[in-house]
Amino acid sequence: MTSFILRRLLYMIPTLFAVSVVAFFIIQLPPGDYLSTLMADWAAQGGAVESGTLDALRRRFGLDQPFYVQYWLWISGILTRGDFGISFELGKPVTEVIWGRLGYTFLISGLTLIAIWSVAIPIGIYSAVRQYSVGDYVATFIGFAGLAIPNFLLALVLMYLLVAVFGQSVGGLFSPDMVDEPWGWAKVVDLLGHVWLPVLVVGASGLASLIRILRANLLDELYKPYVVTARAKGMSEFRLLLKYPVRVALNPLISTLGWILPTLVSGEIIVSVVLSLPTSGPMLLRALMSQDMYLAGSLILMVSTLTMIGTLLSDILLAVVDPRIRYQ
Amino acid sequence: MTIGTLPASAPSRRARRLLASAAALAAAASFAAPALAQYKQAPMLDQAVADKKLPPVAERLPEKPFVEKPVQSVGKYGGTLRTTILANGDHYNLTRTVANETIVRWTPDWSEVVPSIAESFTASPDATTYTFKLRKGMRWSDGTPFTADDIMFWYEDVFLSPELTPSKNPIFVLEGKPVVVTKLGDYEVQFKFAAPYGLFLQQLAYGQGHIPIIYPKHYLKQFHAKYNEAGIKTMLAESQTVKDWVSLFNSKVSLTFQPAFWQNLDLPTLNPWLLTTAYGPTDRVAVVRNPYYWKVDTAGNQLPYIDRITWQKIDDVQLMLLKATTGEFDFSFRHINNSTFKSVLYDNQKQGKYRFFDVKDLPANDAVILLNLNVNDPVKRKVFQNKDFRIALSHAINRQEIIDLIYVGRGTPSQVAVHKGHELYNERLSKQYVEYDPKKSNEILDKIGLDKKDSEGYRLGPDGKRFSIVFMVADVFGSSYPDVMLQVQKYAKAVGIDIQLRNVDRARLNTMWYANEHEAYIWNCVGGLSEAYTDVRCYMPFQKADIFFAMKWSEWYSDPKTGEEPPPEVKASMALYDKVKSASTKEAQLTAMKAFLETAADNFYTIGITHPDPKYGIVGTSVKNVFEPLPITGNLWHPAPTLTQFYFDR
Repeated sequence: MTSFILRRLLYMIPTLFAVSVVAFFIIQLPPGDYLSTLMADWAAQGGAVESGTLDALRRRFGLDQPFYVQYWLWISGILTRGDFGISFELGKPVTEVIWGRLGYTFLISGLTLIAIWSVAIPIGIYSAVRQYSVGDYVATFIGFAGLAIPNFLLALVLMYLLVAVFGQSVGGLFSPDMVDEPWGWAKVVDLLGHVWLPVLVVGASGLASLIRILRANLLDELYKPYVVTARAKGMSEFRLLLKYPVRVALNPLISTLGWILPTLVSGEIIVSVVLSLPTSGPMLLRALMSQDMYLAGSLILMVSTLTMIGTLLSDILLAVVDPRIRYQ
Repeated sequence: MTIGTLPASAPSRRARRLLASAAALAAAASFAAPALAQYKQAPMLDQAVADKKLPPVAERLPEKPFVEKPVQSVGKYGGTLRTTILANGDHYNLTRTVANETIVRWTPDWSEVVPSIAESFTASPDATTYTFKLRKGMRWSDGTPFTADDIMFWYEDVFLSPELTPSKNPIFVLEGKPVVVTKLGDYEVQFKFAAPYGLFLQQLAYGQGHIPIIYPKHYLKQFHAKYNEAGIKTMLAESQTVKDWVSLFNSKVSLTFQPAFWQNLDLPTLNPWLLTTAYGPTDRVAVVRNPYYWKVDTAGNQLPYIDRITWQKIDDVQLMLLKATTGEFDFSFRHINNSTFKSVLYDNQKQGKYRFFDVKDLPANDAVILLNLNVNDPVKRKVFQNKDFRIALSHAINRQEIIDLIYVGRGTPSQVAVHKGHELYNERLSKQYVEYDPKKSNEILDKIGLDKKDSEGYRLGPDGKRFSIVFMVADVFGSSYPDVMLQVQKYAKAVGIDIQLRNVDRARLNTMWYANEHEAYIWNCVGGLSEAYTDVRCYMPFQKADIFFAMKWSEWYSDPKTGEEPPPEVKASMALYDKVKSASTKEAQLTAMKAFLETAADNFYTIGITHPDPKYGIVGTSVKNVFEPLPITGNLWHPAPTLTQFYFDR
């Protein structure tokens, strides 16, 4: 097991390197750079754009250098000093601006993951065991409705209902008067009062697929000889179900855990914009639009790292859960 | 409440006495200053004064404070004004709202230039030399006196420094020579230009005029290589963000209020409020009153009345609208002030506890078709430069239908022009070629040699290939442009012109036009009211801003060594504008400007579609002293100059 994990960790190094090159390259692809955004900003304020100033800034930021030089400056900073460069737009080190955002992203992703698993697994089991029953159809219908309704639309409708029917303040993770308060019990309660909305919206779309996967797998397992044998030996139905077929049927859920992390991060971009959440999604979107390349590159790198860690975790979990798996 | 048309007594119509009577203006602005002992302060400062953390109010104010005449009445202290900005890229909204203190300023109605930070000013009769007398005893927000040295610091150590200012702002440059600023005394400075520059005071009163007064010497010199070389080395060694002293300096104070300006909580300022929550990756921005602010009301109360302002940062305009309707904002005038949202806002006035106020934001046109006259393709360049082609295209457009369909009927068909009622109104400029007349359009197109058509009915260009125009359409300003262009595409097809639409992101469009890679795009145009004097970007190839219909020519105008030499009629137009700039009396300016706009009408560079109706903002029902109609343009940064007198009456 240890050597397996070590080997997997080693594989991550070249992968991360490749990802960082590709990410940086893609950000550089559109013509222009952050300074063209800055220039437009000046123009919008009624100011003239002085080419000399822009050229000087371009040199200062190293934007006049070829791609590989800029990349080297960035990646060597990360490797040697943990310095991810600066966000041009915010004028601050990337490390300073993204941690808080990533924190909220993980919070929402984590809560969503817990929420959908704790709903999907019982429903999936029920749907498989009571296949074609009324309950199966109802659960499946709800799941598919969640899948079919676009996230942002669901967010908008729910927000409208909350405002129009309940008169609640929506958008963001806190009430306006709690934003600046220090962390404390009251703030946590306020957070819980707001965080369920994004969790519901982000989770709704993932629910259906989880239910279907579990249902299909469990149906495969339910009639296999080992289940019949166990039943014949007089094992109680409930214990039997959880101990053998469900454990096997969970395999695909666990093996896709690694993908769920990044999709929750990137899938929530539109939702985060609509709900004005302080997560990394809107920040990445904005960074890409204004070509704030160190910020965008760093966020992409973080999300990629996350995917790899997620995949590793799911592989380890699989090994623990599924007795059929061998390390070679 | 209705949005009225431009009132007949439009302020800009009144004579703007600029130079001849500058002294009289100075006198007018300082009417009846209350005696020192009568000054009063906000209750939130009482404790600090009692604890001796702050000197008494009379010692914090200059000898002659600026006396603000209330719009409605003398106000009450206190309260937090809640407002909003769109997350990231909208920091300009902070600037507009609270950061527009300039040496001289426009009166709230935008009719004349009066002293502001300067106690008074005089201009030489030939309009080359301007002398400003500063207010004795005026202080930065940290209590340090503001003197001529601060302006000289800007001039000598920032403006003239080739590192900090590699190219100079055109406001302070005339005929290629930068202004010469001299200190005449601790409270007196002189700006001298190489040639007559009658528009200088107007320019200085617009937003960009903040430039000389945002550099507190006592604070900033520690970041300037000339004053603190050794100290800077240590700071650079400790910093992760900056690598040289220029970046260090720019990270502490930033020209034109880039984000750095809104992130430095330590920067002393002359603005009415001080930053407490910086603009950054967080959810909001907040400011609190400046105890050293230098304005009082007519009863001797130190301004501002409102203690704090908070901005909620919101990523999505729809959410902003939703929050407005639930009464989360006391003031809001950007992003949601378009005709699409008006009915929603109207229906929710009671629930949201707000009312509408009028905004006099009248661009020269709301939707302008800009063909790139300097486009790289020689065939297209020739056709675009043909005025008859532009006339034909103009006649092909059914403007009223566009206004009815997309602008909910609010607007008037017009070319790019100054609005009716203003002293610069030119009927020909506004109304020429606006009739919808496809027959005439077809005739003109046949006549100018685009008479051959392909099997699909599209006209062939001079090179025998189908003549197509690729339009860049950015989904901005309430997303009306894609809709407008779909209509225009339909009208153009009816006269055989092929318009191809390309939806692009605004940032991408910026880089395209800056590199002269575009063929045509649609945008709005400034210069609908008095700003036409100082900003003629839509009337001739002027400066590199956001209107690029002839970039090579505008480059040539700013520096004849660059760009491309324009044809004679364009050069004639440019020469006329130079006359406007140098005119030393109000009358001469008006005459020269009228002559210049005539040539703009002759040249007909761009095709306008609609003159918008005035916009609106929303303000809490308990907020008083709101100036109406609030004038706003690209470089007239309101409501900052009048926000200090807003107050809550609940």
